[in-house]
Amino acid sequence: MNSFNKVLNKSTKMLTKRDIAGLIIMLPSLVLFSFFVWVPLLESVHLSFYIAHGMRFIKFVGLENYATIFKDPDFMAALLNTFSYTLWSLVIGFFVPIIMAIILNEIIHFKGFFRVGIYLPNVIPGLAVAMMWRFIFKPSDTGMLNIILKNFGIQPQVWLADPKLTIPLIVVTMTWRGAGATTLLYLAGLQGIDPELYEAAAIDGANIWKRIWHITVPNIYNLARTLLILQIIAVFQVLYEPLVMTNGGPNNASISLMQLVYKYAFEKFDYPKASAVSVVISLFLIFFTFLYNKIIREKEM
Amino acid sequence: MTRLTKKNSGVIRQFDIKSLNVRIGYYFLLLISLILVLIAVIPIVWIFLSSFKTLSEFVNEPSFLPHKFSFNDFVNTWKVLKFWKYYVNSFYSVIGSAICAVIFNGLLAYSISKVRPKGSNLIYTLILWSLMLPPTTAIVPLFININKVGLQGTFIPLWLSMGANAFFVILYKQFFDSIPQSLIEAARLDGSSELGIFFRIILPLSTPINAVIVIYAINAAWSDFLLPYLVLNNTGKETVMVRLFQFRTSIATDVDIIRAIVFSIIPPIILFGIFQKYIMEGISKTGIKG
Repeated sequence: MNSFNKVLNKSTKMLTKRDIAGLIIMLPSLVLFSFFVWVPLLESVHLSFYIAHGMRFIKFVGLENYATIFKDPDFMAALLNTFSYTLWSLVIGFFVPIIMAIILNEIIHFKGFFRVGIYLPNVIPGLAVAMMWRFIFKPSDTGMLNIILKNFGIQPQVWLADPKLTIPLIVVTMTWRGAGATTLLYLAGLQGIDPELYEAAAIDGANIWKRIWHITVPNIYNLARTLLILQIIAVFQVLYEPLVMTNGGPNNASISLMQLVYKYAFEKFDYPKASAVSVVISLFLIFFTFLYNKIIREKEM
Repeated sequence: MTRLTKKNSGVIRQFDIKSLNVRIGYYFLLLISLILVLIAVIPIVWIFLSSFKTLSEFVNEPSFLPHKFSFNDFVNTWKVLKFWKYYVNSFYSVIGSAICAVIFNGLLAYSISKVRPKGSNLIYTLILWSLMLPPTTAIVPLFININKVGLQGTFIPLWLSMGANAFFVILYKQFFDSIPQSLIEAARLDGSSELGIFFRIILPLSTPINAVIVIYAINAAWSDFLLPYLVLNNTGKETVMVRLFQFRTSIATDVDIIRAIVFSIIPPIILFGIFQKYIMEGISKTGIKG
């Protein structure tokens, strides 16, 4: 105890007046970070080991909640769907902004108009976008897409009600909202490329495709890699699009893991099981981040 | 009008333009860009046009344009849904959030960047980590804790939650790092407290970054619905987004919902119209999509 006090005294002596002032002005923000971010993350883990009545912890049950959720047929559906969302978002969402940026970077007419135009969907709140697209995908012949199809003489489609199409169409909705903003990020990257590089390559006889492949692509590679991992992390937590557009249907064809959290927590009021699903999501996300860092390090070596 | 032969950016260079194929290719790309803009804009136009339709028009007639543009129905829905109330509530939520975003994230970033007390490196690492670990997965314990401290049914948790945003802290820190340390040392010699330096010197010097943070915070506070829904539902303080989310479980006609969607997207579009240049520059400079 004595030695502990000595250490304590020593460390308070080591803190200068400026250290203390710095820590004091940080304190309110740190309290907020703890309350809104750090403590809830840790508490999810804690809560997932208990049985609770509403908000009161009743009994420690170890991993029982995890065993229960793994047996829940909804969980398996949600897990597979979440991977399906992620995969589709790589197929559709990842490449679209890159291609859009490469095209727009060539355009010299109406530059501002094109940039503002493709960015506009990002201005609309995500919830409003999801609700809007539910009407655009309306299966009757008065939905927007069916009106357009009718002009080409094609029969009305059921869109979201087709279990095979539900997830890809929700990903299309997410891409419609996000792609423009991501394109602007890539455009900023493309504008950083020294035009001399293209000139030099052209003198060496590289045609347009070769210049794209050997100069443009390597120059945005790092940016693309970072945006890819951020996209995977974001899509893995997809919640309100399926919640609002399909409510997870038809027949669990589009239920996501985060939606399962929502269902357990705010429809069944079973907070521990909701937390258990949250912890599973977090473990996946930590794994992705770890994998990403590992790949980066190996590349750099 | 920009002349194609004057093109001096991108992969296609001036000497490529001499080839007819490349010129045709360029106009083909121009056409694709136009189609992309149409894909981005048409759904928004359609939802605005549909909001002028009557219910039977919307349900029965497969056409783009409404029969007539009557603002009366529009105003009626506004009154019936009592949307003014939700606008006012959203306004409260947005203002408090913007203030909290500037003060709390700014103070933390200032201390990390310029005061640098012991432990600030560790704190910054923790904040960088919280970027990767998303807060939505911890919504359940957060909701429980808000109830435990008795803040449910108030705007306070929404305001304060914007004061704990890792992105904002990082943006502020990067900006503050570029402010010369000598300026702050001089103020310290004059006997200013750290808090005084932050409010009287740092914040006024940081107008560009303050503008970016305020715009992003306003947008985030206006668009957020999960936490507002959990905290404010059935308290009479519902924001516009919470009201929109309530349509999921309440009975309403399609046309009412579409009009409500239009009400909810008009303010962000106006905001974008005014600050368009700032927002678009902010994206390319900060790497954040908002």
